[in-house]
Amino acid sequence: MAARTAPEAVPLFAIVAGLPGKTEKSAFLTLVPPVLTGEVVWCILFTGCIRLMRMRLAELLEGLVELLEWLSPWAERRVPCSVRRLPWAVRRGVGRVGPVGRVGRVGRMKPMDKERVMSRYDVIVVGAGNGGLTAAATLAKAGVATLLLERHSVPGGCATSFCRGRFEFEVALHQLSGLGTAENPGPLRAVFEGLEVLDQLDLIVMEELYRTVGPDGMELTLTADRNAVIAELQRRFPHEKEAIAAFFEFLAAFFMEVVGLFYLKDPAPSRDSYPRAFSCLLKTTQEVLDQFFKDPVLCRALTAYWGYLGLPPRRMPFVDWAMMFLAYIEYKPQHIRGGSQMLSAALADTFLKYGGVVRYNCGAARIVVRDGQVEGVVDDQGELHLAKHVISNASRITTYADLIGREHLPDAAFAEMRGSSIGASAVTVYAGFDQSPDALGITHTTTFIGGCGSQDEEYEATRRLGCHDTTGLALTCYTRMDGGFSPPGTTQAALIMLQYADPWFKVPPEQYAAEKYKAADAMLARAEAVYPGLRDHLEEMEISSPITHLRYLGHPGGAFYGFDQHVKDSASFVSPKPPVDGLYLAGAWATSGGFQPTLDSGVRAARQVLKQLGK
Amino acid sequence: MKQEILQQFDGYQDVMKEIEAARKFGTDYAGFKGRVAAWIDRYHPARLTLRIGDILEETASTRTLRLVAPDRPLPPFQAGQYLALALRFGQVRTGRPYSISSSPRNTGYYDITVRRVPDGLVSGHLLDHVRVGDALESAGPAGTFVHNPVFHGNALVYIAGGSGIAPFMSMIRETLDCGLDRDILLLYGNRAADDVIFHAELTRLASRFENFRYVPVLEERGALNPPWPCQKGYITRDLLREAVGDLTCRMFYMCGPAALYDFCRRELEALGVPPRRIRQEAYGPPNHISQYPGWPEAVTEDATFRVTVKGSAPIPAHAGETLLTALERGGFAVPSQCRSGECSLCRVRLVSGAVYQPPTVLLRAADRRFGYIHSCAAYPLEDLCVEV
Ligand SMILES: Cc1cc2nc3c(=O)[nH]c(=O)nc-3n(C[C@H](O)[C@H](O)[C@H](O)COP(=O)(O)OP(=O)(O)OC[C@H]3O[C@@H](n4cnc5c(N)ncnc54)[C@H](O)[C@@H]3O)c2cc1C
Ligand SMILES: Cc1cc2nc3c(=O)[nH]c(=O)nc-3n(C[C@H](O)[C@H](O)[C@H](O)COP(=O)(O)OP(=O)(O)OC[C@H]3O[C@@H](n4cnc5c(N)ncnc54)[C@H](O)[C@@H]3O)c2cc1C
Ligand code: FES
Repeated sequence: MAARTAPEAVPLFAIVAGLPGKTEKSAFLTLVPPVLTGEVVWCILFTGCIRLMRMRLAELLEGLVELLEWLSPWAERRVPCSVRRLPWAVRRGVGRVGPVGRVGRVGRMKPMDKERVMSRYDVIVVGAGNGGLTAAATLAKAGVATLLLERHSVPGGCATSFCRGRFEFEVALHQLSGLGTAENPGPLRAVFEGLEVLDQLDLIVMEELYRTVGPDGMELTLTADRNAVIAELQRRFPHEKEAIAAFFEFLAAFFMEVVGLFYLKDPAPSRDSYPRAFSCLLKTTQEVLDQFFKDPVLCRALTAYWGYLGLPPRRMPFVDWAMMFLAYIEYKPQHIRGGSQMLSAALADTFLKYGGVVRYNCGAARIVVRDGQVEGVVDDQGELHLAKHVISNASRITTYADLIGREHLPDAAFAEMRGSSIGASAVTVYAGFDQSPDALGITHTTTFIGGCGSQDEEYEATRRLGCHDTTGLALTCYTRMDGGFSPPGTTQAALIMLQYADPWFKVPPEQYAAEKYKAADAMLARAEAVYPGLRDHLEEMEISSPITHLRYLGHPGGAFYGFDQHVKDSASFVSPKPPVDGLYLAGAWATSGGFQPTLDSGVRAARQVLKQLGK
Repeated sequence: MKQEILQQFDGYQDVMKEIEAARKFGTDYAGFKGRVAAWIDRYHPARLTLRIGDILEETASTRTLRLVAPDRPLPPFQAGQYLALALRFGQVRTGRPYSISSSPRNTGYYDITVRRVPDGLVSGHLLDHVRVGDALESAGPAGTFVHNPVFHGNALVYIAGGSGIAPFMSMIRETLDCGLDRDILLLYGNRAADDVIFHAELTRLASRFENFRYVPVLEERGALNPPWPCQKGYITRDLLREAVGDLTCRMFYMCGPAALYDFCRRELEALGVPPRRIRQEAYGPPNHISQYPGWPEAVTEDATFRVTVKGSAPIPAHAGETLLTALERGGFAVPSQCRSGECSLCRVRLVSGAVYQPPTVLLRAADRRFGYIHSCAAYPLEDLCVEV
């Protein structure tokens, strides 16, 4: 029986198991009175005597007090715990009390008030990705008692880094959008200021959007300046000169209309006042580009950023691309010295500074819902934390199917989700070279390397295993903006291609490593066509696959942008708020992926909670 | 935006139709319950309960434990990776990494080859107390000391010391069993002839396969059995030059005690081997940390300090041992894996006090900045307060 393989579980589990003729549940409930009468002292001494005899009396008593505290909410409130789960939870609980009493107390318990047993908070945030961190920091700063649970050992989710040899590798951040400068602040700046991280960060403004290298030798570099972009495009595509001018005028006006509709929330919009939005808001990027341009090469050069959104122009909503492209031009892409991990650490620091409680290496196993209302969270060590509000940064699928369970959700929740498909993940080659970027000939921070076919073929390739001639790639050379990732004279870079997880699921486990190397090899070969000789200077390399992302984020398909974002998947058609009282989503699966949207989503979720709390 | 307004946008009806179709033919995500966890468990289980299927005596001080998983397939690993065993001795929960010495193509079991460390807690336990049939807890295979075909090439030189042969054994077995196109030279240092682990198998393989050369290096005189030509002394630059011949385009791998790394790296660099061609496995805390550069002279290894974990009574810690060891001895459960400062699983926040961190620790810039340390690679220099 389970008690034997888990020695720390002996005492209480034995009591539960030792009450004959009762179901687990009633055994559990009848257990509580003896606990209160002190009979349990006898029971524990009897069943676990040898181990317990070695304990000092003071330790034993201390342990008992903790045990009682731990049990009392069930006794008083009978929080509905799945019956099957109880003995497990009990077992884990006792583990904290027995001979290893101290183990359990390490940052594990912070009772909010003494009669209530285990921890109680106003809000629990599940997951410390971008959305979880900004949500948690916003709440803590507003004076709300908040617990942040993160399954990994560091904060950040995607927004993290890791070290190999002499190199620290940035995992996800390529170009931060929407921040702007003090003189020309973007929307994200207020978020950073509000959460007191702006002063903590050293931001580097990039003057360049990207260099794109096309299949047909086409090569073009765009700077982060509206007029310069127009001039460069007109120089390269003289036959589209007027169209380019017209398009950028349209783009600026469209941008203003979208701001009026969605940010300033015009209460009575009409086609007359928002003609471009009424006509193009629900169109794909390609549909709108086709209204202006004939040259497909131009369209392609313009939309090289599609990989940042996960769908090619023929599927990507025009509004998503337009807002991102203009935000990059208007506020310029930025980099954070020390990478996105620096941002995550700064956000976590603000959270702690305002009294937030964070637990790393501690995932949420279940969100307790009763009568359509959130009651708390059971963590993966079996501990229950009470709270009337939970913000989940875990995927929507995980939140609904694993953490809450179909039985506690209206059918509509799953019915709505049916319409969405799990988004792309990626294969990334994190590469450390023993030469400087100049010596390697890497001239730009961001280079998009186009596939030999169309963008649609590039997208097709994301559903096939490995890197092909049709695959589109991006090479980000971090050392060009931030020398701090590795010693002088070396280069840190990431080569990335989008890829869905499905083909990776079909690889037999023993072939998995070989498939990763095969993909990386082909990706490097493609990069070498643009920057020859890279391979000869490789010093460190790590490869991440969709399975890697699945492992580190806990998201289905390792999808770091959440669901595919077609027009139909936008917030206009999908309700961001789950149909459970007290439950909110933050992060890529709440709305859409990428740094700016996810950082923003956490603040928004937190504000909704604050409103509920009357703050 | 309100639906009645949205309805007036061009293309609204098409989107609604699309939504209807997508929901009709879409995925029922309720069926995803447990799926992500199952995938993670398949490749990188957080916990693996293994059973000792067999014990092979290798030398007087070394045994191979053959580990099987009774109730699940073993997760895949790459030759060179290790298992982080999780153990418990009374109050103390600790762990130790052990490289897998069997071939990854062998999907039925993992071998770990454990050599006795004088006064060693875990090696002593594994050599003296465990029996066939006993259970051992571990995490899934981990580690980055593996052959990367993208740039390592296939001319490989393995430099092993003592039990550091274990990961190489896995690589050699895989290469030769599967006929991989790799050329391997193994330089294997030991103190005495009886210490050489896997000697019989290595001689057998070296006589049979042209792409594998085996050069034992012994500090002390003694006869190898079976007899095999051996070098005396240490793995010096002269020996390297002579045994390897053309040094260009070779990838050098080192695994063994810290002293071997320090010595052989210097020798290789003196021969002009660039750092990118030298790969080195983590091998745990060095024996005498106070001899490392930057250690403050005023502090001796046996100095004792108090470590307070927020909210608990202080525990004692010696300057010469890692903070992780002190925390474990004090009854705290701290997750760990590499125990060499590389994986960051043992990360804790240093609230106050100073620690010594060896130059080998791989700390993220953000952790450095916000006061986090890897407790397995941090040595107390004062009384400390930490948050676990
Ligand atoms: C390789 C790569 C490249 C990218 N490139 C870009 C780019 O160039 N530009 C850009 O804008 N975006 C990019 N992104 C995407 C961007 O990083 C993500 O969309 C964004 O960071 C997601 O934030 P999030 O809030 O959704 O949380 P996530 O980062 O998805 O984190 C979720 C967190 O929740 C935790 N969690 C999950 N389940 C549980 C549970 N049950 N209990 C406790 N914790 C749990 C996870 O461990 C994780 O920490 C990239 C991502 C990757 C991986
Ligand atoms: C990646 C990796 C792979 C490994 N693979 C193998 C393998 O395949 N085979 C193998 O046998 N071992 C391997 N090891 C080493 C192994 O993990 C253990 O470290 C080893 O078995 C000793 O553990 P122990 O508990 O027996 O000794 P410990 O109890 O840890 O003590 C070791 C000895 O060092 C002394 N000591 C401990 N800490 C310090 C200190 N800080 N300063 C000075 N002295 C100290 C002790 O007194 C004792 O004499 C590997 C280590 C790593 C990091
Ligand atoms: S256990 Fe890996 S860094 Fe400490």
